[in-house]
This record gives sequence, C-alpha cells and structure tokens, in this order.
Amino acid sequence: MSNIKIKSKNLDVFYGDKQALFDVNLDLNEKEVTALIGPSGCGKSTFIRCINRMNDVIDICKVTGNIEMDGMDINDKNLDVVALREKVGMVFQKPNPFPKSIYDNISYGPKIHGKGETKSELDEIVENSLRKSALWEEVKDRLDEPGTSLSGGQQQRLCIARAISVNPEVILMDEPCSALDPIATAKIEELIDELKKTYTIVIVTHSMAQAVRVSQKTGFFHLGKLIEVGKTEKIFKNPDNKMTQDYITGRFG
Amino acid sequence: MTKEERLKKRHQAEKRFRFYGLTSIFVALLFVVILVQNIFSKGSSAFKKTVITTEIFFDQELLEIQNGASEEDIMEADFYDLMIENLIKAYPAKDRDEEDELLRLFSGDAEIEIKKAFLKDNNLIGKTITLDLTASDDIDQLHKGNYPRDLPEERRRISDFQLVIYDYFVENKKISKNFNNYFFNNGDSRDPELAGIGGALVGSFYSILICLLLAFPVAVLASIYLEEFAPKNKITDFIEININNLAAVPSIVYGLLALQILLATIQLPRSTPLVAGITLALMTLPRIIIPCRASLKAVPPSIREGALAVGASKFQSVFHHVVPLALPGTLSGTIIGLAQALGETAPLILIGMVAFVVDIPSSPVDPSSSLPVQVYLWSESAERGFVEKTSATIMMLLTFLIIMNFVAVYLRQKFEKRWN
Repeated sequence: MSNIKIKSKNLDVFYGDKQALFDVNLDLNEKEVTALIGPSGCGKSTFIRCINRMNDVIDICKVTGNIEMDGMDINDKNLDVVALREKVGMVFQKPNPFPKSIYDNISYGPKIHGKGETKSELDEIVENSLRKSALWEEVKDRLDEPGTSLSGGQQQRLCIARAISVNPEVILMDEPCSALDPIATAKIEELIDELKKTYTIVIVTHSMAQAVRVSQKTGFFHLGKLIEVGKTEKIFKNPDNKMTQDYITGRFG
Repeated sequence: MTKEERLKKRHQAEKRFRFYGLTSIFVALLFVVILVQNIFSKGSSAFKKTVITTEIFFDQELLEIQNGASEEDIMEADFYDLMIENLIKAYPAKDRDEEDELLRLFSGDAEIEIKKAFLKDNNLIGKTITLDLTASDDIDQLHKGNYPRDLPEERRRISDFQLVIYDYFVENKKISKNFNNYFFNNGDSRDPELAGIGGALVGSFYSILICLLLAFPVAVLASIYLEEFAPKNKITDFIEININNLAAVPSIVYGLLALQILLATIQLPRSTPLVAGITLALMTLPRIIIPCRASLKAVPPSIREGALAVGASKFQSVFHHVVPLALPGTLSGTIIGLAQALGETAPLILIGMVAFVVDIPSSPVDPSSSLPVQVYLWSESAERGFVEKTSATIMMLLTFLIIMNFVAVYLRQKFEKRWN
C-alpha cells in the first residue's frame, strides 16, 4: 500500500450562499491515479481545484475544513499559492496553450520558477517535458510554431508537458479528454499510465470506461457529497452504495 | 397558409431586409461623397498660391547696406523704399493713385520676400533678379476663378484699373500658381494670402502629445487594475458605471472644468497646448479605459488559469499573458481616443485657444491654436480667401484622422493573436 499524498478532512466549499462540497474526506495515494466520477455539477472539479487553490480566483468561493499535502496545510492563509502550484500542476478540460510558441509554452513555467538558468538547461527541460508527454517526436522540428496551431489532442499533451515542465509532485486533470476524439483520448490515457510512475495524479472524468482504464482508486461524488471511495476494481464490480451502483450502470447521471 | 406561402413570405422578408440595408449604406456613402467632394472642390485650391513674377533691381541708393552685409544687418535694414520703387515698375502707372492700386495687388509680405532673396545671396546690390512675389488675396482669388469679375465696380473689391493690370500680367505671363508654402509654414494672419496652419499644426501636435502622455498610462493602468485586480463589489461597480457616464459627458463640460481648475485656480497659462493637452486627456481618459477593459475582458479566462496553474503569480499571469494579448485592442482604442481628441473644438475654445496667434509655438507653454479651432476661426472670417483655407484645413484634419484610424486597424490586425 502506497503512502497517502493528499488528505482532505471535513472539507466544505461554498459559492456565495450555495454549498458545493459537503464534508469531503478523501485520501489520495502517492504515485497512483485517482479518478473522480459523478454526474455534472456534483463537485468533482471543485474538489480538485481545492488542491491547488484554484478556487482562490473565484471571489465568492469560500473553503473550510482541512486539506493537507505531505502534512502541509493547503488552506493555510499564509501559504504561498505560487509555491503550492509549483508542486501541484493542472490540466484543464479545454486545452489552453498560451498563444506563444511551443517552446515558450513549456519554458514559461521553469523560467518563472528560476529553473533552467541557461538556454541549454531550458532546452533540456523542454525536450524532457515533451518526451514525457509523448509529443516530442511530433513537434521537435517546429518548436517555434505557435502552440495553438497544433491539433486538439496535441494541444492537450502540450498542456500536460507544460504542467510537468516545473516538475510537480501532483498533477490534477479536469476532464482532460472531454474535448478530444477517441484516438487522442487513447494517447492521453497511455500517457497517464506512464506518468503515474513519477507523479500522483487526480483525474476528473465523465467516462466510466476511462476511470476503469486509468485509475487505481475511484471516488464517486453526488450533489457535493463523496458517496463512496475505494479501489477502482471494487467500485466498478462490487460497490457498497446503491447510488454508486445505479450511476456506474447508467441508471442516472 | 400553406407551406409554400409561408416559405415565400420568409424569403420576401429577407429580401426586404437586404434592400433596406443596401439603401441605408448607399445613403450614407452618398453623404460621405458629397461632403468629401464639397471640401475638396473648395479646399484643394488653397494648396497653390498665385505669384506675380517681378523684376527687382537692388539699387544701392535705396538701401543702407552694402554687398556682403551680415545677416543681422540685413534683418534690420529697411527694404520698403526698394520694394515700392520696384513694384510700381511692374505696370506703367500714371499717378500716385494708380500706383497705390498697383501696390495693393501684392501681398503684405512683399518687402519680406525681397529681403529673404537678399538674405540668400547678399551680393545682389547693383543686380536685377526676377522674383515670384505672392499676390494679394484679391488677385489670388481672381486668378483661381473664385471671384466674379462681371459685378459692377462698386460691388467689387478689385477696381477696374486693377483688372486691367491683372489682364496685362496674364497676357505677359507674369502671373502663375506656385506651391503654397505659406499655408504649411505660417501661423494665422489677418491676410488670407499669408495665413497658414503651421501654428495650428504644432499646437495640435503638442496638445495630442501631452494628451497621450497623460491619458495612456493612466488609462491602461486603471483598466488593468479594474479588470484584473480590483475586488468585484459595489464600489467597483459604481466606478465602472461612472466611467461610462464620463465617456458620455459633452466635451464642453471638460472645457468648463479646465477653465475653472486649470486656468482660474492653478493659473496655468491660457491658450496653451499644455492646458489643451490636460483637458483633452481628462476627456479622453474614459474613452480609452472602455476599449482597454473590453480588450482585457476578451482574453479568455483559460489563459489566466493556464498561467496560474503553472505557478505564475497573479501579477505574472496578467503582465506576461493577459496584457500582451490585450495590447492590440488597447493600442487601437487609444489611437481612436486620440483621434477624437484631435478633432475636439469646444473645450479648446473655452480655454482660450481661439486667440489670434501669429507666432508658431516653440513649446507647449506658448499660446497656440489647434487645427479644429483654426477651422472654426477661419470659417467665421469674411474674406473669400479664408473659405478655401477652411476647407483645406479640414482636409488636413481629416487626413490625420484617417491616418490614425488606419494605424489603429493595422495594429489590431498585425498583432492580434488567435487563441482557441
């Protein structure tokens, strides 16, 4: 059994008067893929945005309760979110490369964190990140072209490369394949399998099949509550909760 | 109604709409054409001036200076007698009255023009040269065909005798049209043939420069702060509403504000581009902030999130990603704001830029005019020569506005980056 990387205890999230997460207690294991499933608006994305404090961007959002990474309180008011986000990378639902060159997309993170002082160090980081995201062979001859000129699947892998360029410990993926075709999706899934050797990964997905394919642990959310969490195999074969059973068999959601 | 009838009706509605649209575009274009044609036909003649080719003999007896005199001496020397003696030879006049009428065919600057020729070559004493001397406004307008000569003499500014001289000049090919350098180089003047937009051009340039230096940084910083950093609450809402209100405030109100605060209270020098620039900056500020904020708002949030997610601080995400993407829109908004400021007249009238200023301002604290105010001033003048000058000034103003708008469009298209 691997170590627990991230631990949430009694986590509540409010958007203004509306409560989006209720008392979520969820542990994420190190170097493992945890899938979060559930119907739209159930709080999966809200939960992962708590891990890198992306909810700070939303003025009316309030987070209470406890969430820790390696014993460090993520919700601490004095915590430097910049340092946190260096450790916790994120990939979004829609590929959002910067409208800059492929090279600049990847070198941006290392540059602002002072990694890669020289050009050759940066070159190395860019190459490594692109290799890890299985994009190197496709783009190595056109690193100067804008990132937005790539296809959707390539753009998403570019975003993954951008996330791993700062060498994070955790990667959050918010429905990374929802805008992609099946072939691009398959590539990303392969990639996730490879990445979990190095990183702790949390993936929000609407595809049950994807959760089964890529994750070791699955959490099922419904209406802001974590209904059930366990080994992926168990959740999909033999869930304890009736609601989970109904959801994975497609009876609602 | 059958299916066919309904379909037909839908197509007809579309056709009708297309017709209305085309008609309105046509009407709008027609007005533009009429306006431009009117201005061009009236104004284009102002770029030429009528000159009278005259022989000038530099008679030592009429001058107090010698060949090789220094520039200072020439400037101080009196060329009046020399001018008179030479000009009256242009046509055989019988008596003093006829000579006076002859002299009135030349511009008031004839003496200076002769002096300038001597400044260029100070060895002219004892020699004769031919000079193109600027004609008076009456001859200028007559030669350009703007002056009806078939009116009875008492209703004409030109006497019958002067017409005879003019015809004599034309016959002997002594009269011609040159490029009107006075129009661009001179300041304002009571004599239309000498009046130019030089002062107004420089005044407008200083005003717009000061307006840009004040309004651009303030507007950009204000928009970035309001759009990216300010908390969304009642105070920012209130500020936003008021920026929109300020953009709609009539410009003359800014003129009144400047009159009270800048001139009466702070006692800045009146009629100067400095005050004009500050006034125009106040007026332009909200008009720049609005397009700036719009172009910041148009940058998709996913770009900000992408930057934040790799650990950029708020400041870095804004200045590394959002601002560069918003820059084309910001710049074109600024240029269009400045173009509006360039054409603004009312506030400048209130801060005293309608003063009659002959000298070309050498700094922003010298009294000055500006292009639109010059149009206003000349449009009120009675002399025929100012009609074409007014139109020509409008042409210059329109040219600058069109150039600025082109630059705005060019910047937007050149630097606009696509995001998905």
